[in-house]
Amino acid sequence: MNWFFNNFEFIAELTRTHLFISLVPSVIGATLAIIAARLIPQKYAGPVAGLMATIYAIPSLALFVALPAILGTPFIGPTNVLIALTIYFFSSMFFSARDAFSQVPDSALSFSEAQGFNKLQRFALVELPLAMPGLIAGLRVAVASTISMASIGAVVGVRNLGYLFLDGFQRKISEEIVAGLISIALLALAFDLGLWVLGRAISPWKVSERKNA
Amino acid sequence: MLNLNEVWNWLTDPANWAGRYGLSNLLVEHLSMTFTALVLSAIIAIPLGIVLGHFNRGGALIIGISSASRAIPTMGLLFALVLLLSVNFRQEATQIALMAIAIPPMLAGTYSGIDSVPRVIRQSAVAQGMTARQQIWHVELPIAAASLIGGVRLGFIQVVSTVVIAPLVGLGGLGFGVVQGLALRDFNQLSGSALLIVILTVSGDRLFALAQAIASLRLKKTKRTAQR
Repeated sequence: MNWFFNNFEFIAELTRTHLFISLVPSVIGATLAIIAARLIPQKYAGPVAGLMATIYAIPSLALFVALPAILGTPFIGPTNVLIALTIYFFSSMFFSARDAFSQVPDSALSFSEAQGFNKLQRFALVELPLAMPGLIAGLRVAVASTISMASIGAVVGVRNLGYLFLDGFQRKISEEIVAGLISIALLALAFDLGLWVLGRAISPWKVSERKNA
Repeated sequence: MLNLNEVWNWLTDPANWAGRYGLSNLLVEHLSMTFTALVLSAIIAIPLGIVLGHFNRGGALIIGISSASRAIPTMGLLFALVLLLSVNFRQEATQIALMAIAIPPMLAGTYSGIDSVPRVIRQSAVAQGMTARQQIWHVELPIAAASLIGGVRLGFIQVVSTVVIAPLVGLGGLGFGVVQGLALRDFNQLSGSALLIVILTVSGDRLFALAQAIASLRLKKTKRTAQR
């Protein structure tokens, strides 16, 4: 624990990079996945889901260093990590978003049509709020794995919390590795808690349902 | 932009396949690390998941551990274990780290598969006079198969992604080319090794997907015959 407090400044700096490198892909990936889950027609959904599952299986380090060959991005630095984590986030979130939208009751869709809502209104005012509990559950899984996966970015030169693992291993300071594990766990826990609170705040009917049950 | 021709030349050059750190040797190491971890994890996780599922015990805990395990940075876990057991035992430490991340999804997949067997079906199996062993083999496992394979597939994904970083603790496997390529700025070696890893992982994942599809197809067929 001493190492943690003696190097607090350094850990805070790494945490800032870690937040940047995991949150930017989370926001972009989530937005794209929610839109794609709603827009991709049912008959293409199967193949797209298969492709997503396959991409998700690719080891992150391999994808980080394979992207430059495909996109022409520089080998070292945050660009590949940001792109790769966005791809992983998208493939994980796509499934849960599709599930979440399929849970929206058909009756709610018919009612909104009867109310004269157009497609955009129906999506924003009916489908999105009703799918929210499922979407939040998907977000919690994807954000937690993105925060932990981002640490591998340290291998390709992104100085985030994963750097504590590399440096701690090379210098044989196990406290440093433990500090990295704890910091990442705390970060993941904080976001998980935040999303859980957000979920309860924006779908209050779920809470009252549970109370009535 | 990287020249794909050069990567192809690097991959097809016999010189890069020979020797201790040649691709053939690294490929064998990669596969054996992955398989050992998967088999050892399956031996522990699948029977445990079946028993816990059959008696309907510990479900919340299993699901909790499985979702929490996705948040553990495997690189940190691997490095911590190697330092803990000392570098001389890095092979054993790596196997333990791989098992620690493969067991939770396998356990969860097996458990939720068995747990998803409808009550009516369980009760009719009991009413038929089936022993616990018969219930598991002839009723629960066939129904749980797709979910069980899904769990093993998730475990596979977690394991291969960690096997790739094993060279960082001084072990081999195809990740060696990635780590050395980064250090030496040899981008042909780097991209060539990454490409091989991607091909290998994707084929493995497709095999599991196929097994999953076969398992659920067989179940559907049985259901259809039963309805007639």
